[in-house]
Amino acid sequence: MTDSTAQCKRGLLGCLGLNWFFRLLSSSIGQKFVMGVTGLLLCGFLVTHLAGNLLLFAGAKPFNEYAHALHSQWELVAVAELGLVVLFLAHVYLAVTTTIGNYRARREFYVLKQSKVPGRIIGANTWMFASGSVVLGFVILHLIDLRMGLRRSLHYFPDPEAFEAPFHNTMAALSDPISRVVYFVGAIILGVHLSHGFASAFQSLGLNHPKYTPLIKIIGKIFGVIIAIGFASIVVFVPGMWR
Amino acid sequence: MNHAASKNLNLTLKIWRQAGPKQAGGLKTYQVSGISTDMSFLEMLDVLNEQLIASGEEPVAFDHDCREGICGTCGVVINGQAHGPDSGTTTCQLHMRRFKDGDTIVIEPWLAKAFPIVRDLIVDRSAFDRIIQAGGFVSVNTGNAPEANTTLVPHHVQQDAMSAAACIGCGACVASCKNASAMLFVSAKVSHLASIPQGQGERSKRVLNMVATMDAEHFGNCTNTGECEAACPAKINLTNIAQLNREYLKASLFSKE
Amino acid sequence: MVTVADTPLDGRCPDGNIASRWDQRKRDLKLVAPNNKRKYTVIVVGTGLAGGSAAASLAELGYNVLSFCIQDSPRRAHSIAAQGGINAAKNYQNDGDSVWRLFYDTVKGGEWRARESNVYRLATLSTSIIDQCVAQGVPFAREYGGTLANRSFGGAQVSRTFYCGGQTGQQLLLGAYQAMMRQVSGGGIKLFTRREMLDLVVVDGIARGIVTRDLVTGKYETFVSDAVVLCTGGYGNAYYLSTMAKTCNVTAAWRCHKRGAYFANPCFTQIHPTCIPVSGDHQSKLTLMSESLRNDGRVWVPKTKGDTRSPDQIPEDERDYYLERRYPSYGNLAPRDVSSRAAKERCDAGFGVGQSGMSVYLDFSKAIKEDGESVIREKYGNLFHMYERITDENPYKVPMRIYPAVHYTMGGLWVDYNLQSNLPGLYVLGEANFSDHGANRLGASALMQGLADGYFVIPYTVGDHIATRKVKPITADRPEFHDALESAKSRTTAILNVNGTHSTEHFHRALGKIMWDHVGMARNEKGLLHAIEQIKTLREQFWHDVKVVGSGETLNQNLEHAGRVADFLEFAELLARDALHRDESCGGHFREEHQTDEGECDRNDADFSYVAAWQFKGVGTDSILHKEPLTFVDAPFGVRSYK
Repeated sequence: MTDSTAQCKRGLLGCLGLNWFFRLLSSSIGQKFVMGVTGLLLCGFLVTHLAGNLLLFAGAKPFNEYAHALHSQWELVAVAELGLVVLFLAHVYLAVTTTIGNYRARREFYVLKQSKVPGRIIGANTWMFASGSVVLGFVILHLIDLRMGLRRSLHYFPDPEAFEAPFHNTMAALSDPISRVVYFVGAIILGVHLSHGFASAFQSLGLNHPKYTPLIKIIGKIFGVIIAIGFASIVVFVPGMWR
Repeated sequence: MNHAASKNLNLTLKIWRQAGPKQAGGLKTYQVSGISTDMSFLEMLDVLNEQLIASGEEPVAFDHDCREGICGTCGVVINGQAHGPDSGTTTCQLHMRRFKDGDTIVIEPWLAKAFPIVRDLIVDRSAFDRIIQAGGFVSVNTGNAPEANTTLVPHHVQQDAMSAAACIGCGACVASCKNASAMLFVSAKVSHLASIPQGQGERSKRVLNMVATMDAEHFGNCTNTGECEAACPAKINLTNIAQLNREYLKASLFSKE
Repeated sequence: MVTVADTPLDGRCPDGNIASRWDQRKRDLKLVAPNNKRKYTVIVVGTGLAGGSAAASLAELGYNVLSFCIQDSPRRAHSIAAQGGINAAKNYQNDGDSVWRLFYDTVKGGEWRARESNVYRLATLSTSIIDQCVAQGVPFAREYGGTLANRSFGGAQVSRTFYCGGQTGQQLLLGAYQAMMRQVSGGGIKLFTRREMLDLVVVDGIARGIVTRDLVTGKYETFVSDAVVLCTGGYGNAYYLSTMAKTCNVTAAWRCHKRGAYFANPCFTQIHPTCIPVSGDHQSKLTLMSESLRNDGRVWVPKTKGDTRSPDQIPEDERDYYLERRYPSYGNLAPRDVSSRAAKERCDAGFGVGQSGMSVYLDFSKAIKEDGESVIREKYGNLFHMYERITDENPYKVPMRIYPAVHYTMGGLWVDYNLQSNLPGLYVLGEANFSDHGANRLGASALMQGLADGYFVIPYTVGDHIATRKVKPITADRPEFHDALESAKSRTTAILNVNGTHSTEHFHRALGKIMWDHVGMARNEKGLLHAIEQIKTLREQFWHDVKVVGSGETLNQNLEHAGRVADFLEFAELLARDALHRDESCGGHFREEHQTDEGECDRNDADFSYVAAWQFKGVGTDSILHKEPLTFVDAPFGVRSYK
């Protein structure tokens, strides 16, 4: 009894016996852990998202059928979307706070700085926050374009519930060259982000082993390349195929 | 068969000078000549300091002690690289044959919020001591020990423990990390003690407390860039940081601590 | 002429059977009750193996410990650089080792110039050290089944050396450091880093505190205690070039000496046979290549004088494996002093190799051929790497070149069996005392002694001092503290005020040259007398001509160094005088006048079987010699032969 009363004085988490959880989440390693887990789960989403979008190569009908089948499970979609939002926001939030914390920890910068990693000219991995920011911007644009349908300049299908709408709207979003360049760059930067982030997540989760780590690193690179090529190929080829 | 005969170098040095922790600092340029390629980097600085004393200027303060690469006292950033260009090498073991006649060498102290500058190239690394105080030990009083061979440690376990325990505590990992993270240092001690039987009793408590202190000392987080590993003179491996992560998560999620 | 004190000095060893003397002493020592211990403060100066282990063990017992080190962290003390290993009479190899054999080897290795009782205790405690270090998590080398591994070291025919690769000292020190850090976090130890001890405070004849200078702020401070434990290492840097770290110095010990503590056997200095040779005038220190290398490396020079062929061009039958030739039963594992002199003999005779002709080969080709490169790499990889970085030569392909260098100092402040100096309340541990190694220390015995003193001797003996003398609480208001503080300050000010033309480095190098040339591996009367005169002259020059830039109120490494060199300049004279007075050859002290036909030491047990403990009477004034007679019953005098 006395134990739990004492803990209650330390707030709600204490009452619930969750001080340890708060400690974990506020620690450097706990935050990396959350970054890693959310990152990997978002990778999982990317796989399904790419698989669905590759149906664009098959034409309007298969794609629209897939979209409607998906949206008919609206309860599941709502839960999934909520989950994605939470994962994404957690990932972004921690990226921002740890980057600020890391910046403060460094505080002073060298007049001259060179990497000692063999073959590295400027640390590719130092671009995670930059590439992540580009991806974030791209995701926001993508949601405005196709989830919310708010980009005025696009010619959306008049009835958003219509069978033809998903394919039509996707094509509309890729109709002008500037949009295509933006979507193309978004896909490539996403791939760059993943090529480090995938393997890095395993390291953050403590999963590093001489037998598997080299493989994970290669898979990470391949994964980044597949995602980048997959999405970029849609941008490059699909608009021309179904003009 | 023998090494290339020694040569003499003329060098331009740009060295961080700072009178004290609160004073402003800046790079100052010096010329040195007749530097033998057989000299160590610190012996080159000795030559400069003799030159400065002769001209009545205060010599450059830099930390150093054993000059054989084991005490971890020395360490400066040389042309943007912690301990200079050689891998697995401390500043005192870097030799001038690595440089060319006419080179300009920029020499800066370790920079990190957790390592405040004391003077010139000397920084305060006492945060490392406080991290070890938080749990980097086995609680065994003198006289408590059982007969040594009652604790069996397989050869490969000892080898792993030894390669982690080899850390010299110089701080190059912090200095070279863009986030000024001390994870490599902390992970070396955590891995060493977590991998051997003697360290099991305090395994969870140790990692939780050491990481808490590391965070409180304002070291940054790890973003897996591997710069620390590349700069480490004791060649402490990045796998230790993975083990640190693993130990911490295990302790957080499953221990009673 | 040397003034000799009338009454002989007494080491206060227990009587009776040598094997039970320590037990008997422990029975006689008074204890301090557990709850009383925290009322007493013990100052421990230095955080090497002796200081670190002492501070941790005393704090565990409950004493208030104040721990001081000159470095920025206790983990950097120079014990960290010990490479090869630590001896212990565990007899894990079943090869005939025992406490008695370790005791005998150590007495013999030190040429019968150490105290039997101390050495026997050291051999006994050696086994507990290994137990303690293993429990702390020190990663000693293991066999595949998990049991502890051993290797051989010089001066022994058994394998009793425990090791952690080539970094044994580092791992043992980190063990002690971690034990210390545990006590710091528990409040038992208060840690003062970057503090240099500049004086000892003696009140009513008892050591009661120290004066320090904060090396960052330049501030002088006094600390009061009930006992002072000095663990400040050796004085090898009197030679300028040595394998010691740059900050190693004699200052703390010397200032205690000036306050009345006797300095014993300063002439017993160890020249280590396997160091990387000097490469030029710029050399700031010398690097040791562990003695353990001689397990697999073979020492040789060409049979022809001035042979300049590269080593791989010299056929087997034109090589002189002189250690194997001269000492067939110990071969390359002959003790350090013997191996060093053998190297010097060959080089002086013109057989040396390298550009200067002042080095010999240490060749691993046979071991690499027999065991494979990977085995050699696992045993010595880090040493080979270090050698290559320094010399730019690959020792897997080309034999190493080595030459002797100053490495360890067996002499130090005089202590009795309890490790207490003649000044009550002042204890001296590890290399800073003189006690266990006689005229020469065997390899892997320094770590053993430092840890035995700190873990297993001082925790018992310091309590006896506190309990027996019933030391009373005092404060730093006593005039003795004020006087000591002022004298430390004024010495620093005096150095700053000289404002001459030559740097501290200049004087240190000059002193080193005198010492190496005349008080080095081989000494003679003429050279020693000459050296004493030269040291005096140099000391005078120093006080008229040294130039120290900067102030005393900030971090000033130049000033720190100057203070240490000033003390070396006083101490070196005592070292040379001790060498002059000891008119015999033994261990590390080789007088050319006293050698056998084969060039070995010609010891004089009838006249010199004593500890020479010197009492300070003023700088440049002859010290008074106190003799502590040494008797050998359990390890009777013998010929120290390694043939």
